[in-house]
Order: sequence, then C-alpha cells, then structure tokens
Amino acid sequence: MVNFKAGFGAESSGPTAPTPEEISLLIDGELEPVRADAVVTSLCRAEGLATWVCYHVIGDAVRGVASRGLDSRRFIELFAAEPTVLAPPRRSPAPHAIALALAATVAAVSVVGWVALTTMPTPVAAIASARQAVGVRAADARPAVDNEYVLVHQEYSPTNAIQGIGPYLRAVAATEPDARR
Amino acid sequence: MRVGSPRARRQWSARLRGGIGAAAVTLLVVPAALAQDAADWLQRAAGAARQLNYVGTIVYQHGGRIETSRLYHVADSYGESEKLSNLDGPAREIVRNGEQVRCYYPDAKVIRVEPRSMHNAFPSLLPQQLATLATYYQFRKAEIARVAGLETQAYVFEPKDGARYGHKLWADIGTGLLLKARLLNERNEPVEQFAFSDIQIGVRLDREATKPPFATVPPDWQVRESAAADIAPKETGWVVRDMPPGFTKVVEGFRTLRGKAAQVAHIVYSDGLVAISVFVEPTPATPQPVGLSQQGGINVYSRQLDDYLVTVLGEAPGATVRQIAYSVGRRQ
Repeated sequence: MVNFKAGFGAESSGPTAPTPEEISLLIDGELEPVRADAVVTSLCRAEGLATWVCYHVIGDAVRGVASRGLDSRRFIELFAAEPTVLAPPRRSPAPHAIALALAATVAAVSVVGWVALTTMPTPVAAIASARQAVGVRAADARPAVDNEYVLVHQEYSPTNAIQGIGPYLRAVAATEPDARR
Repeated sequence: MRVGSPRARRQWSARLRGGIGAAAVTLLVVPAALAQDAADWLQRAAGAARQLNYVGTIVYQHGGRIETSRLYHVADSYGESEKLSNLDGPAREIVRNGEQVRCYYPDAKVIRVEPRSMHNAFPSLLPQQLATLATYYQFRKAEIARVAGLETQAYVFEPKDGARYGHKLWADIGTGLLLKARLLNERNEPVEQFAFSDIQIGVRLDREATKPPFATVPPDWQVRESAAADIAPKETGWVVRDMPPGFTKVVEGFRTLRGKAAQVAHIVYSDGLVAISVFVEPTPATPQPVGLSQQGGINVYSRQLDDYLVTVLGEAPGATVRQIAYSVGRRQ
C-alpha cells in the first residue's frame, strides 16, 4: 500500500498545482481534459487568476488590441450587459471544448468577482448585481421563436409531406404551452 | 499547324459546333430528367408516408440536443391518423386525425388544437417547380445504407448557391418511406436530423394505436383552440424586394393567430423543396426579441419596420432569412 501510494503520490494527494504553461494551454483550448478541473479551480486563487489575466494581456498586446489598463467598472458593466448564449452549439463539441467553455464561464465570473473585490467600493453588492444580471439574461435568452408562426409555417413546408407529423416536434417538443395564452 | 488550313479549320469549327450543340442538349435534357427522377422519388416517399401503416421510434437531433419519440401511423378506410409521443423530457403527445392536430401537455394540463391542413406540395409538383429544383439543387443518388435495420437508398439535394440548405434523405428501398432526413448547412454540417431507430412498416395497426390519451377532456384541463386555420388569399400590401432566386410565391393573405390581437400578414415562398414564411404584424404591446434565432432547422429573423414587426422564417441559412427580412417593404 505504501508503495502504491508513493508511486501515485502526486495524484492521490490531490491535484497538482497548475503551471503557467497549463493556463496558457487552457486559454488556447489545448489543455488535456483531465487537467481542466484543476486548472480552472486554480483560477479562483489570485495567483492563477493573475497568470490568466497576464496571458490575456500579452495575447491582446501581440494581436495589437491592448487596452490601456483594465477599467474594472467598465468591464463589469460590459460583462453584465453580455447576454449568456444558450443556443446549442452547431456541431457537437469535443469533451475538451466543453471543459473549455465551462472554464471560460467560471473564469469570467471569477474575474468579475476578483476585480470587484479589489477595486469596487461595495464589492459584495457589485458581485451580486453582476451575477444577477448574468442570471436574468440567461433566463431571457429562451428561444425567441414565435411558435404560432412555426406551426403555421409547417403547413407549407414541402418536406413536411414526406416527414408526416415529424416536424411538429420542432414546434411542440421544444416548448411548454404558453400559460398566458 | 494543320489546323491553320481552311479545310482543317472548317472541320474544327464543325466539330466544335457539334460539341457545343451536344453539350447544350445535355444541359437541357439531363437536369430535366434528373428533376423528374427527384420528383418521382419525392412523390413516392410522400405517398408512402400517407398510405402505409407503420410504427417506430424517431430520433430527432438539432444543435446539441436529441429527442426521442414514438410514432404510430394508421391509414385505413377512414383516412389517416397518427400519434407521436415523446419518450424523454416532459410528456407530450401529438395526435393527428385527418386535418386536425391535437397537442397534449399533461404537466400544464393543456390541449392545443391545431386545425391545420397539410399542404402536400410534392404530389402536385408543377413543371415550373421541377425546373426550379434542377436549377438550384444538384440532385444525386448516393449510397445504399442501412437505417433502422432496413436497406435504404440515400439521395442528396446539394444547393448550387449559398441561399439554401442541403438535404440528404434516406428512403426505404421496399416501400419508398423516408427513414432518415438530414438538413446540412453551407459548411456541409448537419443542422437537424430526423431518423427512425426502429420501424415496422405495413404492420396491422388499428385506430386504438393512435387514440388520444382520453376520450373526453378532464374538467381541469384547458383546451386552446386555434383560430381559423386557413388563410384567405389576398394582397397584404407588403412585398419582398430581394427574394433569393428560385423562390416563388405560394400564397399571400391575412391570418388570425392565437395570442395575437391583430391580423397577421403571411406570405409564403417556396423553391420546391423548402418554404420560407414572411409574417408582418403591428408592433405587439409586449416587446418582442429581434434578430436571429433558431428552432431546429428553422432560422428566424425578426426586425422592427416602422410600426410593424417583420418575422421571416424557414429551413434556410440565417443569412437568407435576414436578407429577406431586410427587403420587406410596403407595396408602392
């Protein structure tokens, strides 16, 4: 048992601390999926986050879009105004892409939290409002499709003729009946 | 340099003319023949879907989602009836008897009644639509493949321009029934797919199989009737100035739709394979989202035009519905 533990010591005693290279790989979407969890978790700590921000600043500078200092208030406003995109991806993402998307979401929320904590006068309220804004927008982002329109349209879709009732799935399976109607 | 001599030149010129002539004949004849093939095949599929008994499981994929449903289709002396029940997520049941579609939502205790007529376009494809099919789609027979345990012939409609989606369809060789259908975007990626994962065709089924969940509506359920189903053909005063080539107007008129106070102008265009709908309504009291959205293979684009809300939707790329939405205007 002792030997076994010694042999796998690094893994059995918890995830190893991510290296800056791994954070860079995460940004580029090239990180091994098995490491995504540990690296994302590390972004919740100041060190990891600093590296993350640092690499983004470097990346922006390399692409010639460097900003003059990070305006945290503006960032929070912009972030809060950014609707969460809930549309399903067009192609089924590879596992590492899902990990990356998750990482990006966690990281984005963490950055807001961190920037707010370090720079805003009333950090808790700021975080709460930023999170709330994100939440509300997520709820708003329900399919903006008018089902009456879709149902009426189906009648004329020639491919309906060969698929029978099938296309009704589009209009019905996707949505609840609207209680207001 | 023998070509340089007058005689050689004449011979060349004659051959060239012959060649061009043959090519022209080929261009004229082949697409027409192919279009006829495509139409025959589509009509066979449409006929099979209406006239056969079948029961099977349909897997519907769109975006990253998968939904599974059970379908029963009965064709007897009374006509057609079918029932579709979803197998995952909140229970939903759709029952169609003749021209009436009833959707049951047990969780909300709601029944929606859709007195929809199915405008079967294929059985009556006009020569003009046939020509359109051949002009805007490359039709070809693809591989023979197994779907739901049956041998199928795959067919492909590849768009010749970026204004429309591609279609790949798999038909049962024995009966012509469509067992799988895939919509492909401009990068040839699937946007939406219907496929039977198992099916029995030509089985004995009686009307019990397509019976609604209950004969009389329980008192605590709500029935939401849809208003007058059909459109009264009429000029609406709206025009589309920049319709992608190949789409011709199928119908134009006003409709009364559930949940909408005012009548809605509805214009339908089709290229023979898909339809695109244009809706114009007075700006509703509750603000409506504008811009592009998607529901399965259908793209929807809404925009504000003065005091009206214009919505364009169809099984076409987002850029196409957007272009159409921006070219809607008042008839001068």
